[in-house]
Amino acid sequence: MSLPAIAEKDFQDTVRSRGMLILVALFSVLVAAFAVIVRPTGDGGDQFATEVLLQFFVGPLLVTTLVPLVGIVVGYNAVSGERESGSLKLLLSLPHSRADVVFGKVLGRGAALSLAVVTGFLLPGIVLFALAQTGALATFNVGSFLGYTVFAAVLGVVFVAIAVGCSAAAETQRRALIGGVAVFVLFVVLWSLVTGQFLNAASGLIDPLPVSQQQVSVFLQVANPITGVELLSGAFLGDRLLSGETVNQQISAVSMLVFWTIAPPLAGLWKFDSDDL
Amino acid sequence: MTAIELRGVTKQFADVTAVRGLDLTVEEGEVYGFLGPNGAGKSTTIDMVLDLVRPTEGTVRVLGQDATADGVAIRQRTGVLPDGFAVYDRLSGRQHVEFAVRSKEADDDPDDLLDRVGLLDAADRKAGGYSKGMRQRLALAMALAGDPDLLILDEPSSGLDPAGAKEMREIVRTEADRGATVFFSSHILEQVEAVCDRVGILRAGELVAEDSVEGLREAVGGEETLEIALAGGDADGADGATDAAVDAVRDLDGVSRVDRDGDALVVSCADGAKTQVIGALEDAGVAVADFHTREASLEDLFLAYTEGDAPDARGEDSEESTGEDATDADTDAADATDAEEVSR
Repeated sequence: MSLPAIAEKDFQDTVRSRGMLILVALFSVLVAAFAVIVRPTGDGGDQFATEVLLQFFVGPLLVTTLVPLVGIVVGYNAVSGERESGSLKLLLSLPHSRADVVFGKVLGRGAALSLAVVTGFLLPGIVLFALAQTGALATFNVGSFLGYTVFAAVLGVVFVAIAVGCSAAAETQRRALIGGVAVFVLFVVLWSLVTGQFLNAASGLIDPLPVSQQQVSVFLQVANPITGVELLSGAFLGDRLLSGETVNQQISAVSMLVFWTIAPPLAGLWKFDSDDL
Repeated sequence: MTAIELRGVTKQFADVTAVRGLDLTVEEGEVYGFLGPNGAGKSTTIDMVLDLVRPTEGTVRVLGQDATADGVAIRQRTGVLPDGFAVYDRLSGRQHVEFAVRSKEADDDPDDLLDRVGLLDAADRKAGGYSKGMRQRLALAMALAGDPDLLILDEPSSGLDPAGAKEMREIVRTEADRGATVFFSSHILEQVEAVCDRVGILRAGELVAEDSVEGLREAVGGEETLEIALAGGDADGADGATDAAVDAVRDLDGVSRVDRDGDALVVSCADGAKTQVIGALEDAGVAVADFHTREASLEDLFLAYTEGDAPDARGEDSEESTGEDATDADTDAADATDAEEVSR
């Protein structure tokens, strides 16, 4: 049972860092600022649109760019940092396997980031809820808000997992950092370009298959965890989660999120396991 | 059963061979001192025992199990004080020990362990603020968790003051009395002298000597140190004379080491070589003002093994050895042969 021990220790270690407080404050301030922007400006009868706040402000401006970035920052030094400082020696002198270390780190840091996201969303959420109770706000959809928070945390965990995988494979902090930056650029900036090029190059291969170019293209889009979470959270806010016409895409998105959480740490472990430390 | 068994172990890094064809056996229950200068391959050897580094050739077995395949099971029964480790700056001393206890599924009271290493007063402080010596004590407390069958201590006294080093030795003794095997490395001889049943000396990745401390000490009897004061005239003449003296002595049979100490020469040589040394100096026209012999210490032997050529051909003219009776000289001769066998 050494994986939970590592996860717990890493969680304790991470939540004690100064960066955690900064993260919570940053999320809170941003969510609160967006809430101020979308607040009803006309007469008191206007509804406070929780879904508008989330889908058009918090979503594109905060969740799909900042959360992946934070996930990478939290994860990229998980293994390589300990390797460079020497605390990995202390860790591996105890009865832990290297697999325990990698997946314990994913769990511990994923949990720490989730805590930061949830706390950061909850603080302004409580204020909004209180305002709604006192009548200052017409409505506040608590369910939508909490649900969306979960999606944001999931996205964070996926990027923590990808970054921890890079970290395990990297022999130095520097390489881990380069890997993390590359991951961010790939998923946030270059994804459609890269997948577009891939589609063009592979069209000859796809044609004989019983799937259309269009289907492959859609799959590749939702294979990006950011797009996947956008799709799923949008469906959730529209009350169409895992139903409606996009159900197949949503299932693809869910499976790809699972894939990105497991495959990068496994690939990193494969390299880490054979390294001399 | 053997606690640690290395057979034909070689570790080749990209640019250097750190360990070369190493055979090493540590018996269960013994305290084994692993000596060698910095860079001799001690840490690489220990890293292979701990499965941090995988051997290029050969097998490493610890507590009867394969170091790589059964690493977790081995470390379940092993306490390790690694070299060049870092602590988790944001976690307290107690949290570190709690983590070790939990990882080993032991039931120690973390405070008892911290008390044993003298760190209880600082238990609630963050380890990031600990001094080097306190970090060393903390790692020792973590190593002691779960009453390990094997303790591996890599340079345990580094960063400790003399009192701390003494406490470290006492803990090693207590653990050995409990029945634990202790394997520890050091580049300082005094530390192993007091506690070790057996000592191995590693040099450039190879084991050049292995014996009990007593055996090594007796082997040293075949070697002595000559301190020769040279009659230097004026300042510039003295230097020339000393250079000539070193040249005259260095290549003599039985001389293992020549050092200059101001106007004096310090020569490590076999017992019988003393008259030859003086004779060679006189032949070279170097005037000897005074000389006396000094009994060699383990330190001298250690230096001879790790810096110069391993001493050889000792005790040939044992009747000439000064200040020792014939029985002792015979023992010396026998031990010198033993030392030769292990010195390869």
